[in-house]
Amino acid sequence: MLFVWREALVGLRRNLTMTLAMVITTAISLGLLGAGLLAVRTIDRTEDLYYSLIAVQVALDEPTSAEDPDCSSPVCRDLRAELEADPLVASVEYESREAAFTRFQRIYAGQSILQLVRPQSLPATLRVTMDDPLRGTEIVDRFTGRPGVRNVVDQRSTVADLFSFLGSVRNATFGLAIVQALAAVLLISNTIQLSAFTRRTEVGIMRLVGATRWYTQVPFLIEAVVTGVVGAVLATAGLVAGKVFFLDNLLSGRLLANTIPPIGMTDVLGYVGPVLVVVGAVIATATGYVTLRLYVRS
Amino acid sequence: MIRLENVSKVYATSTRPALDDVTMDVERGEFVFLIGPSGSGKSTLLRLLLREDVPSRGTVWVANWNVGRLARRRVPRLRQRMGCVFQDFRLLPNKTVAENVAFALEVIGKPRHTIRTVVPEVLDMVDLGGKADRMPSELSGGEAQRVAIARAFVNRPLVLLADEPTGNLDPETATGIMTLLERINRTGTTVLMATHDRQIVDSARRRVVELSSGRLARDDHRGVYGVAR
Repeated sequence: MLFVWREALVGLRRNLTMTLAMVITTAISLGLLGAGLLAVRTIDRTEDLYYSLIAVQVALDEPTSAEDPDCSSPVCRDLRAELEADPLVASVEYESREAAFTRFQRIYAGQSILQLVRPQSLPATLRVTMDDPLRGTEIVDRFTGRPGVRNVVDQRSTVADLFSFLGSVRNATFGLAIVQALAAVLLISNTIQLSAFTRRTEVGIMRLVGATRWYTQVPFLIEAVVTGVVGAVLATAGLVAGKVFFLDNLLSGRLLANTIPPIGMTDVLGYVGPVLVVVGAVIATATGYVTLRLYVRS
Repeated sequence: MIRLENVSKVYATSTRPALDDVTMDVERGEFVFLIGPSGSGKSTLLRLLLREDVPSRGTVWVANWNVGRLARRRVPRLRQRMGCVFQDFRLLPNKTVAENVAFALEVIGKPRHTIRTVVPEVLDMVDLGGKADRMPSELSGGEAQRVAIARAFVNRPLVLLADEPTGNLDPETATGIMTLLERINRTGTTVLMATHDRQIVDSARRRVVELSSGRLARDDHRGVYGVAR
């Protein structure tokens, strides 16, 4: 056991430049993969965050908005009853014009838009929370144009752009990760061949004195696995650095605060890090094994 | 210990067989010279014994192993019971004398305390006890071959195969190597030595097996190199 480790370390030191190239390429590839995984995680969380908040808003027309503070008019009462009876609907809340204006004042406190808006420009609404937020369009279709309804808005469509942006980020990082992974795999394969070539005398003697495959081949596999694991550790360190120095500022800044949930340290170290180590080790081992099978006589 | 039954070996690259219907028997503890000109099949025969190659026809036995039929994963076990020495020594240049010998034990997983006791013993046996820490580049040819023999013998093989072990050495050194091989033979190890060295063969008066164009041309007990050459 000691022997194979010693041989592997000697091999890694002997081709130091190749080893470094291999580690760096692997690290970049795994780092991109990790970034993609974090993006997926963030997208899921953002969706959860938004889907609990968003609703379908059925805005009522001017007469109802102006005269009905508690949805007691026949028009409003009928609409509400129909929505509540709908199996797709979880709950319905009525927000009068006054309540809407109060909320508006709270949201835009201290901003100039407040001076321009009068209560008259805001409609009373029925806020419909869906059992399944993805089926809001069915409510929109059914209630648009009904008497007493000004318009129906599915809030999901307004956040769809955000999700598609995050989705593109994820796809781009995964795409780059695959290209980099290919480069890493080729480099690992190449280095093992080189390593096997520089050690051909040793391996020849080992075979002759009856060393098993364990002794002749495992040092090369260990070289590959060490590369994969070190690459994964560096990649994780890179992600931590990226989080601390870049993302934390970005996501807590004015633009994106409360829009995208922040990425926690446990996401990086507790989830992505271990995944990268396993992926790195598995890919490196598989590459090493296939290379030894194809190019190196056992 | 070694038995060849109607063994032929044809390489894909050649029309003429490298070995052609060879049958021979070597008893446990025998010392046998394998002679014949280059290309007569000596190296092929050694390769078949080591399972570097499998015979095209016939059966090769070493100890109780049917070598040609041996499963790949069993091959290391066969080789652990055989020692090998070559004309070009094949020492590892970056390891000391003692490390070179220890290497053969390390790679078959022998425990370290065994290696620590066995290596000095075998170096004493080949008269290199005082040079354990030298590098191969600091050795003479004869000394290098002694290290190679120590490495081949350190695991106490049943059979020692020597492929022209004196080919690179002057006659006096060659005689020393020969004496060493005979000493190893006296411990009960079967020795099969392929050689071109007429003087060595003639003075040893051991069994001589001659190959010619892949065929068994002669098998003399207490033979000489050539009758009328």
